[in-house]
Amino acid sequence: MKSCDFPATLDSLGAIAEFVMGIAGSAGLEKRASHHLRLAVDEIATNIIVHGYDEAGLQGTLELRADIDDRTLTITIEDDGAAFDPTQAPVPDIDLPPEQRPIGGLGVYLAMRSVDEFLYKRVGDRNRTIFKVHLSSASLEESGRA
Amino acid sequence: MAFSANLMVDAGIAKITLAGELDASVAPVFQREVEKAAAQKVNRLVLLMSELEYIASAGLRTLIFARQKMEPGVDIYVVGAQPQVMDTMQMTGFDRSIIALDTYDADTIENI
Repeated sequence: MKSCDFPATLDSLGAIAEFVMGIAGSAGLEKRASHHLRLAVDEIATNIIVHGYDEAGLQGTLELRADIDDRTLTITIEDDGAAFDPTQAPVPDIDLPPEQRPIGGLGVYLAMRSVDEFLYKRVGDRNRTIFKVHLSSASLEESGRA
Repeated sequence: MAFSANLMVDAGIAKITLAGELDASVAPVFQREVEKAAAQKVNRLVLLMSELEYIASAGLRTLIFARQKMEPGVDIYVVGAQPQVMDTMQMTGFDRSIIALDTYDADTIENI
């Protein structure tokens, strides 16, 4: 298990991406799956920072945790920003030409489609967002855990 | 790699060279270049992406903004996008509103 705290500001996005790519490397994820995981975490972290903290007039910390077991890589983000359940967000109509689309909703849409499982829980006064990627036999060999 | 966006306008064609990682923290940098390009009433917007390693939805929103700011007849070209960048554009349907080229093709782009 690995964990790291990041200030809830957009300047943290680079360091959050590094954390996630480091974990993806240790789990032996291939390039495409690593990119998808980074995209998912980046989009949700951005949402939490912008809507959960900035727009709510709050300051705080994003706590990231990574767990790798035989079958799954799990990344968890916990924050004490404003409550937001991404799984209840409206789904954007990606068939509409871009100029006719409402702004927003794309990040959550990308995040939820970029990992194998996407879960959200409100725990007390905290948001917990969980990303799971199933590890293939190839990634297990790559990481020496097969 | 640090993000950069550099605009060059010549003969009605705006070219923005993008490099590095385009996440929400740097999307305003890209947006400013698009605004400058739109203000010059160009006929084409060409995004040179071969050095762009990552694009988040904040970068895609700037493409929506570009579409809205520019005249309906202005084509947007995406040149040399890396697979992970193209993948994000495809997942969100953006590939259908741009013209994707592997390399800069003057005959196609500059034939106005």
